[in-house]
Amino acid sequence: MSSEGVGSGPDLSTRVGPLELRNPILTASGTFGYGLEFAERTDLHRLGGLVTKGLSLEPLAGNPPVRIAETRGGMLNSIGLQNIGVDRFLDDVLPGLVGLPPKVIVNLFGYDQDDYVRLAERVDPHAGVAAVELNVSCPNVSKGGIEFGHDPEILRGLVRRVRSATGKPVVVKLSPNVTEPAALGQAASDGGADILSAVNTFVGMAIDTNTRRPVLSTVRGGLSGPAIKPLALRIVWDVAREVDLPVIGIGGVETVDDVLEFLLAGASAVQVGTALFRDPRTAERLVDELRDRLRAEGVASVRSLVGAAARRE
Amino acid sequence: MAAPDATGRVLEVRPLPLRHFLLRIRVDGMEPAAPGQFVMVAGADQAEPYLRRAFSVYGQEPGREGTLVISLLGKVIGRGTAALAAGTAGEDVPVLGPLGRGFHTMAPASAPDDRSALVAGGIGSAGLGLLAQALARAGRPFDFYYGGRGAGDLVEADEFRRLSERTGGRLVETTEDGAAGIRGLVTEALLETIENGKARSAPAYSAIYTCGPHGLMAAVARIAADHGIEGQAALETPMGCGYGACLGCAVELTKGGYALCCRHGPVFDLEEVVW
Repeated sequence: MSSEGVGSGPDLSTRVGPLELRNPILTASGTFGYGLEFAERTDLHRLGGLVTKGLSLEPLAGNPPVRIAETRGGMLNSIGLQNIGVDRFLDDVLPGLVGLPPKVIVNLFGYDQDDYVRLAERVDPHAGVAAVELNVSCPNVSKGGIEFGHDPEILRGLVRRVRSATGKPVVVKLSPNVTEPAALGQAASDGGADILSAVNTFVGMAIDTNTRRPVLSTVRGGLSGPAIKPLALRIVWDVAREVDLPVIGIGGVETVDDVLEFLLAGASAVQVGTALFRDPRTAERLVDELRDRLRAEGVASVRSLVGAAARRE
Repeated sequence: MAAPDATGRVLEVRPLPLRHFLLRIRVDGMEPAAPGQFVMVAGADQAEPYLRRAFSVYGQEPGREGTLVISLLGKVIGRGTAALAAGTAGEDVPVLGPLGRGFHTMAPASAPDDRSALVAGGIGSAGLGLLAQALARAGRPFDFYYGGRGAGDLVEADEFRRLSERTGGRLVETTEDGAAGIRGLVTEALLETIENGKARSAPAYSAIYTCGPHGLMAAVARIAADHGIEGQAALETPMGCGYGACLGCAVELTKGGYALCCRHGPVFDLEEVVW
């Protein structure tokens, strides 16, 4: 049994704004389904939290194939936000997650502000939901989220409306595909966000040299995996220093050193994503490795590391 | 359907003609695969390729101390398969599986007109390996149609000849360059047999099972539909995870929407799929 937070071991618990997590390892949206499907492949009990696949008001079938392409050190995806819809999640899936140790964060996306507001209202009465994460940066649906995450005015207005629609902590997941993500983070903060998560995937593409055509049916896709970690880390560093909100780091996390880098850069927790595709047990392994590492280095608590790299400047 | 993530020990990497290879891996605690199921195999190198590669379980046998020895048939196409083909015996590689849903065999074993056609294109024969073995064990007759560009593509022809002949069936080889078997496409050979059977007013096949390039399987699906024969195909799509998390392996369905190749498939009824 794990014993983080008590006894003689290092204290892995972390505070992310209003969220208290038993450890700083979460699974990222779109890489872990709705949580329960993979209970047989990973020990859910070990996670600090899980973020659901992005949910919309109505179910979505997603994009035609080809949806993924492997690249060096990562992959491109253009899944098209395939999901079962918020109602089916709340009715059928959430009851199975309630009572498990990981905090459940529900990722939401819409096509206009009203969608987001309605989604937040649907989720709001459910005690099993610890927070909502707004996908305002998914690069896959051209008429969808991309505008929200790219324009400070629009983002501020959206977050303000969601803020007033729910009492849950509001996480805003930042797009990396802008010149200054921290400026968008500030806009989200001004709108009333509690937490920023950074970053979503980087827009990219791949071409099949045999067919001489783009690999993905949508041409563009989101790049994830170890290839983006230094890029994501830089953005987390900027956002943590420039915006007065707690940050969850996302982008190519696979090793305990990746976790430490994000913490030191200023993230209070991290989300593990694409690495789960290679090894479904990556997240629980990272919990163990983080504990071992802190113990070996005599570090008493995860919280003492958050932002420590900036303090040494 | 729990499929633990196990560590496999590479027992053998056997090079075969035209950059084909056969991997034998001993896996601890892996359940035997059903015909058509697959495994995800990671390279020994953590960084390259990053994602695992999907392989049909071509063969399997009990290993010592409760282990399972699986055989995988591959062809070097990109970095992932190149890394696996360059592996050496004694290496440890993570193996996830068995995954997905395999073939369901339709006619009861005792049906008088039970005769199947197995139609493979090149390395697609790997997806039909366990099925051919199962049919042979059950004494259910089948013909094995094996097509390739050249003779080197028919890597396991001897094995499929042995298995099909055990059931009273036969191996039909075709090559586009005519270097082995009949010159032409394997689907032409299949169609010829079916049409000849029609002339004798006896249906040639009660079921068709196929695995190979998309165009081949699409042609088989047309032939099956035209002649009212039930059939299934083991599909191959790019896969990120193999276990339903990434939603990358969408297959378009005739009834609308998509199914995941890794969970709903990789075996689909021929009429389920938009070819």
